[in-house]
Amino acid sequence: MAERAVERIGGDNLIIENLHYSYGGKLSIFEGLNLDVRPGEFLAVIGPSGCGKTTLLNLLSGFYSPERGSVRLRGKPIAPEDPNLGYVFQAATLFPWLSAIENVEFGLRMSGMPPKERRERAQRYFDLVGLSGFENYLVLRLSGGMQQRVSLARCLAMEPTLLLMDEPFGALDAITRESMNDELLRIWDELGQTVLFITHDIDEAVYLSDRIVVFSRPPGGIYKVVKNELPRPRSGPTTRTADLFWKYKKELIADIAMVTAQRPTDEAELAELKLSTEIERKAEKQASRDTEN
Amino acid sequence: MSVAAKDAVPKQRRFKLPEYSWSWLSIPSLLVAWMLIATQFPSYILPQVWDVAHEGYIWIADGELFPHIWASFLEEVGGFGAAIIVSMVAGFLAGFFKGFREYMVPLNGLFMAIPPIAWAPLMLIIFGIGYTTIVIVIFISAVNPMILTIMEGVLQIQGQEVRAARVLGAKRWQLFLYVYLPASLPFVTAALRIGFSQAWRALVAAEMIGATQGVGWMVQMGGEIGNARQVLLGIVLIGLFSYLFERLFFRQIEKRYEVWRLA
Repeated sequence: MAERAVERIGGDNLIIENLHYSYGGKLSIFEGLNLDVRPGEFLAVIGPSGCGKTTLLNLLSGFYSPERGSVRLRGKPIAPEDPNLGYVFQAATLFPWLSAIENVEFGLRMSGMPPKERRERAQRYFDLVGLSGFENYLVLRLSGGMQQRVSLARCLAMEPTLLLMDEPFGALDAITRESMNDELLRIWDELGQTVLFITHDIDEAVYLSDRIVVFSRPPGGIYKVVKNELPRPRSGPTTRTADLFWKYKKELIADIAMVTAQRPTDEAELAELKLSTEIERKAEKQASRDTEN
Repeated sequence: MSVAAKDAVPKQRRFKLPEYSWSWLSIPSLLVAWMLIATQFPSYILPQVWDVAHEGYIWIADGELFPHIWASFLEEVGGFGAAIIVSMVAGFLAGFFKGFREYMVPLNGLFMAIPPIAWAPLMLIIFGIGYTTIVIVIFISAVNPMILTIMEGVLQIQGQEVRAARVLGAKRWQLFLYVYLPASLPFVTAALRIGFSQAWRALVAAEMIGATQGVGWMVQMGGEIGNARQVLLGIVLIGLFSYLFERLFFRQIEKRYEVWRLA
């Protein structure tokens, strides 16, 4: 298997410094967000919907540009096309006209890797996510969980050092999600990337991470950072029943309740939230269209 | 870019009889009705089915049928072919660039509001009777709906797929070649289909006005000399070619992507 990503990263952190961002100058999302992620760290980000989690990933991946402040990996800002960057989206977003293995090969093909070499590499990651035997399936014929595995393999095959994951297992049922969590930990243990994992599932955040960042409603930014001292390697039956697991879980439930209680109560705030949803939708549409314009 | 994964698609027998359906009755019932009605008229007004078949045999035996079909075919290829090229370029540009889209759409609307055959007299004045006139009329009729269909399709391509491709390192030209093009296959086929049928209608109409050969001319000339058999033969041929093209060409293209589109 490939050299562990953590060695390739060297000692450089992912540094988010004084990050400012708002939707169209109207609704402020981040006002001076600071966060250091050390190489090889598994960071979970949790918070109520609409708190800017996905916006954060859009900023980290360079789809959006910060209004002030910076995001740097190895001292440089990140572009979406950066080979160090991997991004697993909420939906699998596979290419339906390609077979499962061809989807995994896609990025390698874009980088000009010869067919034989890229098929070998793709096959390795295909096997790693436990899909062996489904190479030639059309992706739309695979189940939701398997599609998300293909998406993960497609991302891993590029061997990124920074892995951004936006509620990747959010659409899966609880049992599939738990097994995907175990797969992810096994792969992360083997490859050692820096992972920024967004979720709204407390169990998932506690089970996976080294640190948990709780976001509050905008423009609050970080509400709290919890250091997760659960021992590794983790496994379902042991970790999920440990006292420490429950301690974190209780703590986070209380935190999320606190953060959610800041919900808009009066009409003005509600109107603002509606506006933000609308603007975010437009911004995302724009971001994807900018590609060609 | 292979439309791959053939292994995973259940194999079908190549030549399978179609499922029993009421559609088996449609054409035969039409023929029966024709025959019954034709018994009430003299043959020079409404000929029988076999009279028309015999007319077809005479045209074939004389070696006259094929040149007419070939002439129509060449006109269709010229006008529809040019429309494919222009609509692909204009449709994609209109899909990508807002400015071009805003400029283009009113023009499409205007041209689509005018029945294409209305251009034929003007083209006759400019180019005279013959190939060029007909090809231009066909082109005008096909290109506008095709541009709009392709443009709508490009606008519908999911931003998420494009984002995913960018994160995987796809450069601009690669996005076009490996994401936009394959993703556009379904609506490009739809555009081809619409364009073809529009072109074919315009062709027949234009041949009736400004041609010396072709299936449209056959119908027109049959009417002028009072040969009802020739008129009906022409109509049958017009329908038959459109149907064959649809079955043999567009259905085949569609089969290639419907697996992944509808899976």
